[in-house]
Amino acid sequence: MAAKVRKFEDELKDLESIVNQIDAGELSLEDSIGAFERGVALVKSLNQKLDEVERKVEMLTRSAAGVLETAPFDPAADDKTRAEKDDGDPPF
Amino acid sequence: MDEQLDFQLRGGRARALSVTALLRMVRETLEANLSDCWVVGEISNARLAPSNHFYFTLKDDRAAVNVVMFHRAFQHVRFKPEDGMEVIVRGRISVFEARGALQLYAEEIEPRGIGALQIALEQLKKRLAGEGLFDDARKRPLPFLPRTIGVVTARRGAGLRDILTVLYGRFPNLHVIVRPAKVQGEGAAGDIADAIADLNRDGRAELLIVGRGGGSLEDLWAFNEEQVARAIFRSTIPVISAVGHEIDYTIADFVADVRAPTPTAAAQMAVPSKAELQERIAAADAALAAGVRREVAGARETLDDLAARLRSPDGRVRELRLRAGQLALALAHAMGARGRSEALEAAHLRDRLLSSGAASLAARRHRLAELAARLDSLSPLKVLERGYAVVINSRDGRAVLDAARVEVGDELNVRVMKGRLRARTIAREV
Repeated sequence: MAAKVRKFEDELKDLESIVNQIDAGELSLEDSIGAFERGVALVKSLNQKLDEVERKVEMLTRSAAGVLETAPFDPAADDKTRAEKDDGDPPF
Repeated sequence: MDEQLDFQLRGGRARALSVTALLRMVRETLEANLSDCWVVGEISNARLAPSNHFYFTLKDDRAAVNVVMFHRAFQHVRFKPEDGMEVIVRGRISVFEARGALQLYAEEIEPRGIGALQIALEQLKKRLAGEGLFDDARKRPLPFLPRTIGVVTARRGAGLRDILTVLYGRFPNLHVIVRPAKVQGEGAAGDIADAIADLNRDGRAELLIVGRGGGSLEDLWAFNEEQVARAIFRSTIPVISAVGHEIDYTIADFVADVRAPTPTAAAQMAVPSKAELQERIAAADAALAAGVRREVAGARETLDDLAARLRSPDGRVRELRLRAGQLALALAHAMGARGRSEALEAAHLRDRLLSSGAASLAARRHRLAELAARLDSLSPLKVLERGYAVVINSRDGRAVLDAARVEVGDELNVRVMKGRLRARTIAREV
């Protein structure tokens, strides 16, 4: 797996610690403006990370030759078509 | 007591053992050969002593043996052994020397029914544990926010439906890769192991859920097999086991990084709730803006205070100038030309005081304006998105911060997130 730029959970921790710092009034005005800018950037990045993945369900199968193939998979439709033929695969 | 006694018997020499020596020999012989054995039989005469040691007789239709299970071992027994129950007991055979009684000292007891299978399972468990497959040290933490999740379960199973329902309920945009597998019957273990290997080869999933819905112990057996255990162990992707059986642990549960009691529970552990995360981010976002607004307001107050205090040097300078003027006059009278230079110096002093005070005030004002501009430029739209509006007085084109500066009848230009409104001031409260 390629290393991600920043992990979501690390950014979330950073954001919350920035909020705590500003709330505690520990920072000078300039530092808190800087912290605010970093915070706003983190909010943007976090929201992006939550939304960046596309919703999809796929099915992975392996051909006789050992090649892996992925195809879209609709479990609801799958239930309907397969319920008609009994292939001996127990429904668990 | 003598261990043995030599004596004459019908003219020959013979050797007799003491009872103690005999029993010790018997005990040592038994213990050397039967230190760990499994015995199948029926329980009778079961009784729990006040010491919490458990005593019973294990018998079949031709023979019987006394069994003792000490509290130390008995406390781990998950069922209640009762008279008439068929059980498998593991323990060592020994002799209670004081009564010359043969006894089985039990370590484990299991109900019969799947006897041989159970023994095999225990042996496999012991072997895999010995190889370190169950070690806590190798358990990997689950990723906090996996975007792609691999699922190994029956294609038409209730388990798959439960997993997908819960996953998408918690996180509506997820990528799920299902690798269907046969989960019971001939070849199931091999198929499950292949599925885990396939998802590893595919490499996109950041987390695997391997399991099935509930069933009898026999139905779940594939998850007790070595092939599955080794496939989970070899997986470079963290694995949640999800075998639908609340009470018993399968071997897959021991090897997996995290064990979930059901497929539904596995899906809950797999992803955080997106809505909760969004709430956390939004709360932090709002707190950021509020915090900085407070900081700026505080700074503005400090500055106003400073500005108010800076006015007083004007008075002081006037005073100095007056005094200097008086001095100059006095000096001029007293010393002629020399007094004029003193007056000049006093005038200089006055100028310097005035200009430095003004410059420092201007510099601070400028800095504040700069900071405020940076703050405002960051994301005015974000503020509007939260339902706030900007009100501009059309009369002077300035944002309305103080109702006192708006006259009844003034036209106001209201900027909301989408579009603008023109409004007229009907009344005002200050």
